[in-house]
Amino acid sequence: MIEETTTGQITTEQPGRTAALVLDRASVAYGDVPALEELDGVVHPGEAVALIGPNGAGKSTLIKALLGLVPVVRGRIEVLGTAPARARRQVAYVPQADTLDPDFPVSVEQVVMMGRYRKIGWLRRPSAADRAEVAAALEQVGLARRARDRFGTLSGGQRQRVLLARAIAARPRLLLLDEPFNGVDAVSQHALLEAMAALKEQGAAVVVSTHDLAIAHLACEEVCLLNKHQYGFGPTESVLTPERLRATYGGQALELRGDRVIVTRT
Amino acid sequence: MNWSAAGLFNAAWFDNGWFDNGWFDSTIHRAMFEAALVGALGGVVGVLVVVRRLPFFTMALTHATFPGIVVAALLGIDLYLGGGLFGLLIVLAVVAFSRMRGQDLTAATGIALSGGFALGVVLVSAQDGFSKNLTHYTVGDILAVSTADLTVTLVVAVAVVLVLAALGKELLFSAFDPVGASAAGLRTVLLDLALLAVIEVTVVVTVPALGAILAVAMLVGPAATARLLTDRLALLFPISAVIGVGCGLAGVWLSTRLDIAAGASIALLVGAVFGLAFLGSAVRARLKFPAESRHPIALEVVKDGTAPL
Repeated sequence: MIEETTTGQITTEQPGRTAALVLDRASVAYGDVPALEELDGVVHPGEAVALIGPNGAGKSTLIKALLGLVPVVRGRIEVLGTAPARARRQVAYVPQADTLDPDFPVSVEQVVMMGRYRKIGWLRRPSAADRAEVAAALEQVGLARRARDRFGTLSGGQRQRVLLARAIAARPRLLLLDEPFNGVDAVSQHALLEAMAALKEQGAAVVVSTHDLAIAHLACEEVCLLNKHQYGFGPTESVLTPERLRATYGGQALELRGDRVIVTRT
Repeated sequence: MNWSAAGLFNAAWFDNGWFDNGWFDSTIHRAMFEAALVGALGGVVGVLVVVRRLPFFTMALTHATFPGIVVAALLGIDLYLGGGLFGLLIVLAVVAFSRMRGQDLTAATGIALSGGFALGVVLVSAQDGFSKNLTHYTVGDILAVSTADLTVTLVVAVAVVLVLAALGKELLFSAFDPVGASAAGLRTVLLDLALLAVIEVTVVVTVPALGAILAVAMLVGPAATARLLTDRLALLFPISAVIGVGCGLAGVWLSTRLDIAAGASIALLVGAVFGLAFLGSAVRARLKFPAESRHPIALEVVKDGTAPL
């Protein structure tokens, strides 16, 4: 079934396959303050969607809404076939590494083990199987050698990879990443992209907010253009056009070099 | 002065138990035991206070229990109960205020700290013949502890250790990454309340021994010192507890040998040990990384072989 939605994008509903994520005329708000209005779109398992928009556009808010931490006031958000808050066990969230206290006395492997806590449950200690999952996740992001080091001693990019390893250890069906490539070195960017691709191959869906159009082209089948409203949602090649980007960024976008880099006035 | 807790915990069965073996007849022995208990408890709970960056909040809590204790003394009800209830009220008020848009925790905490203390002073000064006891409330009187006080401290210490053992990994997660923890489905509000409750009961049993002003020393000093000595969370708890017990025992011993105030001796020792550890870690850092190579990026290149941009 193919249907044309109000925002002009085409969504493909495939019967017999639960969408990882459905936005249906969804509006989210903090108290009385509307943050995002009239979002529409579908993401399927094994696909990645890039959230693109200027600072303050509501990208982080959308990610929090997908976790059920910000309420949907109109319309509907469905995560893995259910309400966002009820899907959390199968969703993993990767925060921006620099929002976490670098002085906190916690080792790299302790951080990754946090991804296992929900499966371990209250009052129980990690098992050998949990430790094996942690080791495998750290291997996957290329930081197995740093397992015993304190989290805060790693570089920003490496800390971001540790947080992705934490998400991998949770074996999610939906992965949410908030600006994982900000201030990240080339080595770490490569490691992050590889680990994301591996998760997609295993059938996980990925939502990633980013300013980097090159990464959207490289790693994401779908793009969602956001700035309070939705300026487009659909296949990367057809949505990521200079016209739509200028509309999304409003007066902020000065020029688009090729279709890779946005230069903003701020 | 009588810090009896008979209203909350009837200690009769303890009086016939192992506190009643003669050793606890001595004021000094009771003070030693109380100092060791408070040191261990403050040391362990202090680790959470320090890693959650709550020392200021804890200080406000110690001052806020003060009017509760005064009111309880006036009404003739149990002092722990009075201090505990009033502290709980302040915790809820601070949390509610800081959750309001545009307010921050330090402002609410500062108001609770000064307001609570001022209320206590006003209540004390309004009573004839009561004000000479003010120093006991503010700097404590560990030499006056009864076996009933020891019972209360012991019960609280055991309960706190059980709670921390049960909720340890969830408390760690929500302390390190609150948004990540709630995203993973943990009830971080309940975990925060559990943590604040643990800090509160620790404050309530520490204040009689060290006083409203000095109690914060035991809840911050040993843990902050341990933090200078290790980066490993599992080692922080035992190191901090040992420092707390050591300072507590040495403080009581010093006070009896030199005839000086016990609570202040303990607090001074805690400060001195922290100062030594601080000097030690500064010297160690200088020896390990000479001035020219102390740039964090240079260190990163050496460890990983790749330089971050």
